Amino acid sequence: MKQLGSLLLAEIIKEHRHSFHSKMIYFSLLVWPVINFVTAYYSFAPFRMGADSPLARFISYEQLPLFLLTGYLGYIFYWCLVQSSWQMSFERQAGTMEMIFISPVNRFAFLYGRSLSSLIEGVWLFFCFALLALFFVDGIQLSGWWAPPLAFLILLVSAIVWGGFLCVLFLFSRDASFLYTVLDEPMLIFSGVRLPPMAFPVWAKVISFCFPLTYALQLIRELLMEGASLQAMLPSMGLLAAVLLVLVTATVVLLRQAEKHMKKTGNMVMY
Amino acid sequence: MLIAENVRKVYRVKEKKGWFRQQWTEVEAVADLSFRMVPGKIIGLLGINGAGKTTTIKMCSTLLTPTSGTITVDGYDAVKDDRFVKAKVNMIAGGERMLYWRLTGRENLQYFGSLYGLQGQALRDRIDSLLLQVGLYEAANTPVERYSKGMKQRLQIARGLINDPHYLFLDEPTLGLDAPIARQLRKHVSELASQHGKAILLTSHYIHEVEELCDEVYIIDKGRLVAHDTPEHLTKSLHLDTALQVVIPSLSDSLDYDLRQLALDYGGSREIAETDEQTWEVTLRGKTDMTTPLLSLLAAHQSPVLRLSTQQPSLEDVILHMADRRGA
Amino acid sequence: MFHVAKATFIRNTRVMIRAYPWSFVIGHIFSGVYTVLFAFFAYHYVFAGQLDENFAHFTDSSDYLSYAILGGAFYAFAVSTLMNVSRSLITELREGTLEAVLLTPSLRRGYFLGNVAQQLMRTLFEFSVIVFVGALFGLTLSHTNVWSAVLVWILSTGAFFCQALVLGSLMLWFRDTYITQNTLFAVMAFVSGVTFPIPYLPEWLQPLGLIMPLAPALDAFRQCVIQGAPLHAVSPQLFHMAALSLVYLVIGVWGIRKMEKRVMESIFG
Repeated sequence: MKQLGSLLLAEIIKEHRHSFHSKMIYFSLLVWPVINFVTAYYSFAPFRMGADSPLARFISYEQLPLFLLTGYLGYIFYWCLVQSSWQMSFERQAGTMEMIFISPVNRFAFLYGRSLSSLIEGVWLFFCFALLALFFVDGIQLSGWWAPPLAFLILLVSAIVWGGFLCVLFLFSRDASFLYTVLDEPMLIFSGVRLPPMAFPVWAKVISFCFPLTYALQLIRELLMEGASLQAMLPSMGLLAAVLLVLVTATVVLLRQAEKHMKKTGNMVMY
Repeated sequence: MLIAENVRKVYRVKEKKGWFRQQWTEVEAVADLSFRMVPGKIIGLLGINGAGKTTTIKMCSTLLTPTSGTITVDGYDAVKDDRFVKAKVNMIAGGERMLYWRLTGRENLQYFGSLYGLQGQALRDRIDSLLLQVGLYEAANTPVERYSKGMKQRLQIARGLINDPHYLFLDEPTLGLDAPIARQLRKHVSELASQHGKAILLTSHYIHEVEELCDEVYIIDKGRLVAHDTPEHLTKSLHLDTALQVVIPSLSDSLDYDLRQLALDYGGSREIAETDEQTWEVTLRGKTDMTTPLLSLLAAHQSPVLRLSTQQPSLEDVILHMADRRGA
Repeated sequence: MFHVAKATFIRNTRVMIRAYPWSFVIGHIFSGVYTVLFAFFAYHYVFAGQLDENFAHFTDSSDYLSYAILGGAFYAFAVSTLMNVSRSLITELREGTLEAVLLTPSLRRGYFLGNVAQQLMRTLFEFSVIVFVGALFGLTLSHTNVWSAVLVWILSTGAFFCQALVLGSLMLWFRDTYITQNTLFAVMAFVSGVTFPIPYLPEWLQPLGLIMPLAPALDAFRQCVIQGAPLHAVSPQLFHMAALSLVYLVIGVWGIRKMEKRVMESIFG
């Protein structure tokens, strides 16, 4: 356990040194999300708003900015990880990947350490956004003082698990940006970042519930916008936990398979 | 003829100091360099301290603009009439750059040939003859990414010759090549000059390569020309010591004394070492050749000679000597 | 010049066939399709087909789905053209072939022309797929003035090409593709009237749309497709586009020339 801890720390420090200096972080985690968020907000402009708008069936008109804000917040958490996993494919090209597999590092420490570290880079943004939400946006309805930290924890854990899963996929695929397109952009539509999934037709709902972000966002909105009690949130929490468990299992199986494959063929590329 | 006159190149290098602050510093890569390239001759460019060899080549091939000075190719200015000059020159660099890896060897040559305005049957014929010339005819339809290093290098040569350039610049052409392939390449380069009348400028880290191929050598230090001559003259003009080495089975005290006297008479030095085979190896160093007096001395002492060799100073010695003198 | 363009066209096609940039193509198609889906979901399921009164006033039509779907498709088309052209030189730089190209006496015009002609095939394919999907989700094509729409599309390619030259020089300047392109694309999506009419924006932001060729191009294209407007009816937009193209072309040609020199110096400096 102690060894695992130090491995995690080493990976976090390496990641930090490696990527935090680059301006990319500021663009991809602050400038673009802010522009996208504003664009998303204005995308609702052509529709009829106000108290009697059909939108009110799902979200009250006043809470729309908050709805989008929480949506994008969750999305940025996940996006952080997509980006970091994407860098994994560069690491593979640079040959450092083999070094990691030669060393006796626990591969899971490596995977989740990577995820956690890239999240830490993104954490300061959480506070920027949270502050923004508190000062400028109406309609906040907290479940209690513990709601923001709990929301943070939910995002953190679910995003790390998602990130670990992506890392494995990116690690062993030839064309990483393809996976990125397939896995990342649908999150924006289907996970309820911009639209409430409850409004979707059944087939779209099915896709929605494949992404852990859907569950995480639902919980976060219950915590921050609806002031739901812990008891009321138990079912959604259970769902999220189940989905995360499935993802972790998939990650473990894939990684084992991939390493076996690599040892046999000398090729990291699986797909 | 390619004439470079008083060519100078200064780079402005940006140094980052924190997030927003930056500082520009000027670095002089080439200073006041003049040389000429003549058809059929190979000239070599040797550098002592990270000198601007590549910069010089890029300026001659119009990729870089000199800060001052002029380069003319058959009377055309390399900056003003760059399109005319480009048609007459080409460059081959070592390493695996300058080729499209996803295209086959033939497709690469087709593309570059088209950029030089070649087309149709003329281009096809040219490509075939070049592929034969560099021994890639069989591999012509294989993507470059599957080529070995040597094959890529040979394809580079074909690319460098696609426009039948009158002036060819070779920048470390044998870098990282296996010895037999490098030797073959040197032979090829030598033929390009002697048989096809190309004017060639060669830079290389391998000094023996320059010594073997070049008719003239320019030695530059920190971008400045410090010496220019044929390789033989360069080595002679510096009056470096010739080493004379003889191996004898035994060494008497009197012979030892006479050897020392001989070295002193000729203003040289003497070293004696016992070898593993219980013989003696005598080395005499000096400006003048001591072979004849040494042999008569050994005959006088009735000493058999097991081995005799002389070592003339090489271009490498010249460079090392210059580097020492300049405090490299 | 056409000779070089043809050679570049053939070269790019060969590279494309051997290593098809599926990720880019699918990425562009997907982001177009997502815009279609968003419009469809929002219109039907969330807002039950109820629009803001100003929408019809701003767009001279109450066909939101066609409006949004064409926006998504045209945006994907603009992004694709901009990317394919602007990345060409920096890709040569990264793959180490830039010097070999610059060594030759070929005209850069021909090189870019070949590039843009080659990428037309890809963008046309992407655009058709998105429009086809859009038609399934409520894009109305029955009033379309086909010839003027096609002409606007082709003229837009020219405008995006000019803008791509400027983007390409910026990429060479920053030695970066990722941040430069995505920042431009994010701003473009915001200010050019892709998912909502420009007048909804705060007034101080609206001029930003004027400098994006996408805004007039999209406006003209929508009029031709949704209302079946003939070409002369959209001439103000076409002039706007032509003026922008000219400005971008001048800056772009100057910038690329400047950057080529700079790049050569910094490789060896």
